[in-house]
Amino acid sequence: MNGQPLLDIRRISKAFGGVQALRDVSLSIAPGEVHALCGENGAGKSTLINIVSGSVLPDDGDVLLNGTPLPSGDVRAAEAAGIAVIHQESTAFLHLDAEDNIFVGREPRRGLGLLLDHAGMRSQTRGLLERLGEHFDQRTPLAELTVAQRQMVGIARALSQSCRLLIMDEPTASLSAREIEVLFRIVRQLRSEGISILYVSHRLEEVFELSDRVSVLRDGRWVDSRPTRELTRQTLIQKMVGREVGDLFTNKSSSPPVGDVLLDVRKLTRAGVFQDVSFSVRSGEIVGLAGLIGAGRSEVAQAIFGIDPYDSGDVAIAGNPLARGSARAALRAGVALVPEDRQHLGLILPMAVGVNLSMVVLSSLTHSGLISRQRETDLVERLIRQMSIKTADAGASTQTLSGGNQQKVMLGKWLAPKPRVLLLDEPTRGVDVGAKAEVHGLIRQLASQGMATLLISSDLPELLMMSDRIVVMRSGSISGELSRAEATQERVLEMALPRG
Amino acid sequence: MKRSFRYWHEVVLAALLVGLLTWAGIVEPQFVRLPSQVELSTHMWELALLAMPMTLIIITAGIDLSVGSTLALCAVVLGLTYERGVPPVIGAAMAVMTGLAAGALNGVFVAKVKVHPLIVTLATLAAFRGIAEGISQGRPMSGFPDSFAVIGRGSCLGLPIPALFVLAAAGIAGLVLMKTPTGRFLYAIGHNETATRFSGILVDRIKLWLYSLSGGSAGLAAVILVARRNTAKADLGAGMELDVITAVVLGGTSIFGGRGNILGTVLGVLLIHETREFVSWHWNRDELNLVVIGIVLIASVLLHQVFSRKSSRLDAMG
Amino acid sequence: MGNHDNRTGLLQRVASRREYGALALLVVTVAVVSAVNPSFLAVGNIRDLLVKCAPTVLVACGMTLVIVTGEIDISVGSMMGLLAAIMGIMTSSDRWGGPVWLGVVVTLGAGATIGLVNGLLVTVARVPSIIVTLGMLTALRGLTELLMRGEWIENLPAGLRFFGTGSVWGIPFCVVTALVVVALCAVLTRDTPLGRRIYAVGSNSHSAALAGISLRRVKIIVFTITGLLTGLATLVSVTQLSVIESGIGVGFELLVVTCVVVGGTSISGGRGNIIGSVLGVLLLGTVGTALIFLRLGEQATYWERAIQGVFILLAVLADHVARRKERLA
Repeated sequence: MNGQPLLDIRRISKAFGGVQALRDVSLSIAPGEVHALCGENGAGKSTLINIVSGSVLPDDGDVLLNGTPLPSGDVRAAEAAGIAVIHQESTAFLHLDAEDNIFVGREPRRGLGLLLDHAGMRSQTRGLLERLGEHFDQRTPLAELTVAQRQMVGIARALSQSCRLLIMDEPTASLSAREIEVLFRIVRQLRSEGISILYVSHRLEEVFELSDRVSVLRDGRWVDSRPTRELTRQTLIQKMVGREVGDLFTNKSSSPPVGDVLLDVRKLTRAGVFQDVSFSVRSGEIVGLAGLIGAGRSEVAQAIFGIDPYDSGDVAIAGNPLARGSARAALRAGVALVPEDRQHLGLILPMAVGVNLSMVVLSSLTHSGLISRQRETDLVERLIRQMSIKTADAGASTQTLSGGNQQKVMLGKWLAPKPRVLLLDEPTRGVDVGAKAEVHGLIRQLASQGMATLLISSDLPELLMMSDRIVVMRSGSISGELSRAEATQERVLEMALPRG
Repeated sequence: MKRSFRYWHEVVLAALLVGLLTWAGIVEPQFVRLPSQVELSTHMWELALLAMPMTLIIITAGIDLSVGSTLALCAVVLGLTYERGVPPVIGAAMAVMTGLAAGALNGVFVAKVKVHPLIVTLATLAAFRGIAEGISQGRPMSGFPDSFAVIGRGSCLGLPIPALFVLAAAGIAGLVLMKTPTGRFLYAIGHNETATRFSGILVDRIKLWLYSLSGGSAGLAAVILVARRNTAKADLGAGMELDVITAVVLGGTSIFGGRGNILGTVLGVLLIHETREFVSWHWNRDELNLVVIGIVLIASVLLHQVFSRKSSRLDAMG
Repeated sequence: MGNHDNRTGLLQRVASRREYGALALLVVTVAVVSAVNPSFLAVGNIRDLLVKCAPTVLVACGMTLVIVTGEIDISVGSMMGLLAAIMGIMTSSDRWGGPVWLGVVVTLGAGATIGLVNGLLVTVARVPSIIVTLGMLTALRGLTELLMRGEWIENLPAGLRFFGTGSVWGIPFCVVTALVVVALCAVLTRDTPLGRRIYAVGSNSHSAALAGISLRRVKIIVFTITGLLTGLATLVSVTQLSVIESGIGVGFELLVVTCVVVGGTSISGGRGNIIGSVLGVLLLGTVGTALIFLRLGEQATYWERAIQGVFILLAVLADHVARRKERLA
């Protein structure tokens, strides 16, 4: 790379609650360059782009744009300097039309600055959209546009602010083939105008088709940055996964006798989310469910548990059909789901540790309708011991616990009803190494006692180490299954990545 | 297990109450005499009765603005049935059932149709009162027999009968909140409804029951009020929802949900009651009450906002 | 995700807008009532209807803006009562007997000030708008009754009464005022930056803040406007009679909110417009008058409030159904 870089990321570090998301990451992007950012789930890509765009404050390091340091944690300053992110749904004004979405907050004015310059807004919007090859009616509310069109509006907004760096996070996730072509054309056009694009994507064939350079992150660290032409799909995957396959952690030593099928999922389908998902889990087995974000894994688990609906297919627990759409029924049948989002779905953080632990089984800890203090305390103390939860006091607010301990509280809560089928969704996310090992030990112990476990995880080593079998999902369907012997990180990732 | 003292709010309220009565006693000695207080207490029972389910509702981060109108509707039902020869006891039962049905309507809209309770109960506030006005044509109905009036005016075991209802309601509500799983789930819903659902708890059913109960208590309050005043009219209970909500919020129940208890509500009711009665007694101006109560409502929440940013208080575990 | 042609047809877009539901209902109601009693369409009656609706239209304009930002204001009825008392006390020869212009200025100023206080409590003190306006509703009502000391205010000066009873080129002054305000508010929402920001705040307050919009300022402005318009509504309605009674404005807030919601403004914010709210006012006003014209007798008027409540429930139900369809689409 010759000349001064457009964006210079220097030694950025960021930790969230004791877990290091990024460690000493440095990379740079040249002007007029399409730069792909690759890595597994949890490698730190989203955190990095959030820091660059200003929505997250780094612990260490800085970001320079054209040599000038950007004020950190300030989205408006970043925007003013020329960095724009094409966001997802949650940041668009769905009730407003394209013109408003582009200009709100910076409206062009006339009439002594009191009135909107409608004509100006209209013509500028038309100009921007035409530059992007779009011709839809710019007065339509965004809620009525397709995802691709909303993206174009986002890009138009960025262009209207004279952006120098456009950041896109998985932009092709919901687009059709034709829409992707259009997007690529736009990206190349912008590049020729001197604008750089930082592009996070799992679709490796797109990375190879579109990008000039690729940077790889792994476990929060920068691995490599290279011109794309110097890489092959093989070598790229290897860099993403990187760990020596040989030196594995403690394997599941002796596979205990595996029993009857406890969870049987057949052709589970939910339009637009997952289709024809079938697999089974036996007593004593740990089945890993791998896939990228958006592959539909959590949705399948939530559908089995009854939190989300599904359109067709069925679920059987120990041979008995399980009613759909009822978490109560699932619980009674012996199924438990430990969700991915600990903060909003898994725990009620302001309430006490003991309260969270006993919540699911509270109705059974009663004596003539009233809560039995004794029985509750017994249960809570037992769970705290069993999970090795480090807390001074069961009455302390769950918020005061570390991430790892919160995770254990969540696990304990769901083990209280003594389920026979355990659905775990990212059980060690945001958890430090020590607690991770404890959780792994616990999962193994439960399996040896007959628990049928479905383990959803984006942590490939964890998946390989823990699972007897790995089922891989891709874009809502099962793309393959690997036995313990056959499974390697590369194979799993290959099955999880979009075709090509 | 040592836990930090969590009843500061209630201590402050009790202190305020004592302070108010002390000051009132100095300014108007007659006011604090027992006979006067007993006499005045008759105005308090309906308010107290309605405040119990309202506490539970606000703990779940909901609200019920329709209690006053439901009371009016139930009162009208009682009056009309009596006029048509139905024995008042049966009429009273029908009034309470009307209340339950009205509350259930609120509950269905809140739990099933999933509309914000504010809007639903604002609408039913008008609808119920309107229906009451419509079916009674605005006429007052009276002439209830003494055997019926005793519900509102009589005593039993040395206490006014309405007081017994209130004590029972407070006792049950307090027990539910502190000692039953459902009570704990109410706090959970107020903190994080989605996580509560995820825990397999039937949130919708709980809400339906809650709003129905609120309506039912309005029906019971209507019976007591009509018995006491010997009049049933469509304008009864106007503005009562404000007093009830203020008493509950003043008592420490957070409007955002997740916090509150019956003891605080009882103190809040007492404070509102004594304030109103004292203002009427001393300045002989009922209107001043409205001003005071309105300000108290806003101030309670405002102060809560100010203090919640400073302290991080732990929450309910029995 | 299809590549379907996205030029949504004009007819499609028109049919999906909820204001047309209100318009349709209005047309049907008028048709039914005039069929039963043709004198409903007489010019004099239409005139009376418009005069009756004018003050509601004024406040509904402000209320629309407040609800679009995701808040609510149920203090407008009590505000009106208080402002009426202030206006009367300042100008009546029985009381203070000051000049009419001063009375007008103070009334409007007081309205704006109360609105401002509401806005500050909601934004700066972070008290939920339902609590603020519920407290205000009560406190202001009490204040009004204190001021009026239980007596009606009589002998309003002729100059003041012009606002309620006078005409401009044959059109009642209050109707003219309403038309002017509606036009101004329509311009505000469509043609000014503030207008777009009001919708942005209601649509996605987080993004609005990120885009540099001051949520505080927007909300304070809409509450203040509502207060000012309530003052104006007081001016043109209360003066239609020569006395100011007690109990003015009781229940008014509910009527206004009903009209606004029926007119297509979503209670969750971000959507709604002035014209829809005006249609809502006309619809409810017509229903009220219709009750008389349908010869249901005196009894019918007692049902007016019940109908309002039912209307709001139906409107809310329709809003919910429409939103569900959108989310599934």
